[in-house]
Amino acid sequence: MIQFNYICSFFLIVLGFYTIVTKYNLVKTVIGMSIMDYGVNLLIISIGYNPGGTAPIFTAGELTRASYFVDPIPQALTLTSIVIGACVTAMSMSLVIRMHETYGTLDTREIRRLRG
Amino acid sequence: MNFANMTDYHHFPIYAIMVLFLGAFIIAASGGKPSKNPNNPAGFRAWIALIATAASLCFLAALIKPVMLDGEVIAYWMGSRGISGGYAIGIALEVDALSLFFALLIATAVFVSAIYSIRYMVHDDCVPQYYVLYCLLAGGVLGLVLSGDIFNMFVMVEILTFAAVALTAFRTKVYGALEAAFKYLVVGCMGSTAILTGVILLYAQYHTLNLAQLASLIPGTMNNATKLAFAFLYIGFSTKAFIVPFHPLAADAHGAAPASISVLISGVLTKSGIYGIMRLTYFLFQTMGLGRMQFMLVFIGSVSMFVCVTMALAQHDFKRLLAYHSISQIGYVLAAVGLASALGVSAGLYHAMNHTLFKGLLFLAAGAVLHETGTTDLGKLGGLSKKMPHTTVLFLIGAFSISGVPPFNGFASKWMIYQASYQKAVDTGNIGFLLVTIIALVTSTLTLASFVKVSQSVFFGQLPKEYENVKEVPFGMRLAMGILAALCVVTGLFPKSVTALLTEPAAKAAANVGNYITSMGFKTSLPAVEVSFVEAGVWEPINWLLILCIALLGVTIVAVAGKYDHVSETTSENVETKYQLFYGGEENVYSQVGGGDLFWGFKHNWRHYFDFMHKLHSGVVNDYALWAVVALALAIVYMMIAL
Repeated sequence: MIQFNYICSFFLIVLGFYTIVTKYNLVKTVIGMSIMDYGVNLLIISIGYNPGGTAPIFTAGELTRASYFVDPIPQALTLTSIVIGACVTAMSMSLVIRMHETYGTLDTREIRRLRG
Repeated sequence: MNFANMTDYHHFPIYAIMVLFLGAFIIAASGGKPSKNPNNPAGFRAWIALIATAASLCFLAALIKPVMLDGEVIAYWMGSRGISGGYAIGIALEVDALSLFFALLIATAVFVSAIYSIRYMVHDDCVPQYYVLYCLLAGGVLGLVLSGDIFNMFVMVEILTFAAVALTAFRTKVYGALEAAFKYLVVGCMGSTAILTGVILLYAQYHTLNLAQLASLIPGTMNNATKLAFAFLYIGFSTKAFIVPFHPLAADAHGAAPASISVLISGVLTKSGIYGIMRLTYFLFQTMGLGRMQFMLVFIGSVSMFVCVTMALAQHDFKRLLAYHSISQIGYVLAAVGLASALGVSAGLYHAMNHTLFKGLLFLAAGAVLHETGTTDLGKLGGLSKKMPHTTVLFLIGAFSISGVPPFNGFASKWMIYQASYQKAVDTGNIGFLLVTIIALVTSTLTLASFVKVSQSVFFGQLPKEYENVKEVPFGMRLAMGILAALCVVTGLFPKSVTALLTEPAAKAAANVGNYITSMGFKTSLPAVEVSFVEAGVWEPINWLLILCIALLGVTIVAVAGKYDHVSETTSENVETKYQLFYGGEENVYSQVGGGDLFWGFKHNWRHYFDFMHKLHSGVVNDYALWAVVALALAIVYMMIAL
């Protein structure tokens, strides 16, 4: 049923896009970016999954041709991606706080000094 | 390869990246306490940043001989973990002429901007942190262009996006800085997510992340998943290059960031996006042979050119105007690269190089004006040539270069782009490419017009009373501008040597993908391609007559189109005495011709277009995000049909 994971991950990415495009609250925009990240993380981890595989942890000599395990590379990629996602959230929230101090609002429609 | 020898030039790429990250680390570890020296609040940290960028530039310059002249592709496997069982298991740096070309551009811009930063940032607080981010940004971009691993490219994209966003918001008190940074972050993250999705889709298909191996596997095995990956990657790198429809972000970010960072955003970040697109289309997917792919890049390039130059005409802020011009010039680069002819690629890269030089110079000049007067509003400035003669001369060199006035470098590269697009039209018999030549010419004219306006409203005309005490900028800032101006002149005077040394090897590398793959140790069936840079046909006088006729036709059309509006002009505009014949003009003798007034006739005739564009660039982050989503959707649909 790995297809279900793929569908869900793209659903999450699209949901993230939808949130960013339609929500006028800055905090909700940040939430949308996080949802988008989670969707990609789910996609990465699903791609590395082999049904019935063991954890990819072997000591020297244990690894044989017959070893059947999940792909470790996507797991490493997911960890990187999660860290980056956390940084994005932290950075955007700090910007949101400063913008709330400066503009006194969180409505994106009013935060548009730069235009044209 | 001899790994024991630390001075072996094969190690230089990783040194070039490492010194920058090391510099960032040392500066961060040294704490944020500002120094006592009022002329250099960052103290020794500024010198660390300067030394790191200089060292990085030296390491890359040492690679010119083996990579550019001898045509070697440097394959550097981290920790000597290379290929096992036909699969790349290690992380590689792959430096071919194309990578090195962009890396040299980046290192030069970063070094010059670091010189400038020392005196430019004196009025700011938290300057030590500025240098941390500065080194991170430089290291991220350099890592992106030298990397041979597509996931590493994504990581570097994220590093540079973070550093760029933080630096955009660095002057938090500047009008709109936070807002610009947030918009950039949101759309930039959508782009990064798109890149990651593309990377992982490719990994799912080919179980490798190495660029050379992907390039050996992908062509001929394209399915819907790889097409989807291509669309995602393309849009991801487009957001980094700020090409249409992502240009509003660039304008916002440039306007708000310190000038030394604007140089990096325009000269370095956009190049990283162009590099990504080139690596994608020429190497990984090798789709540039397809007419539809060429059409897409040339079309987007031409649209970027024209839309951004007209947007620039309507701006009232010095740096925002320069920002739109920056993307307009990137349109030239993309259109030339999209021609997929050796001459086109060479011309595009040449223009990319010149863009870094003259745009850097112009942004530094804008920064000098901001540094002394405290404003970049074109309506408030004027007459600064009396007070800042050196800056004025340097600015004019940059303005002539960007407008394509001989003998400066902008002329040489634009000339090559005209030739390349014309040649392409002759070769393929497709009239559409001739249209590109015309758009490029018209854009160049509008650029010139726009810079006449800037020079008039900033450096010439009446000096406002409040700027009576303005002084010339410090020597450090003039030195940085002087280096770029000298490079502008040199690369303009010796175009043949510059193309032979730098851009033609890079164009050859883009044509010889097979060499790139085999140098990394993978198998390929791609033959070696002989590349020639012919410019035949273009010099024939009859063709020039043809172009002249077309240009005249264009002028006539504009003139005729202008007449239609004379009826409506009488209703509202003539009520103001300002525009009346003979009796018009400004009432106050001390007020000068402002930036908005100089081309009021042109802007009046085009007012519907400008109104439309002004409404479109609404400044709401949701709108820009929507453009990104629409662009992604269109790209996916187009790739599914075209590839």
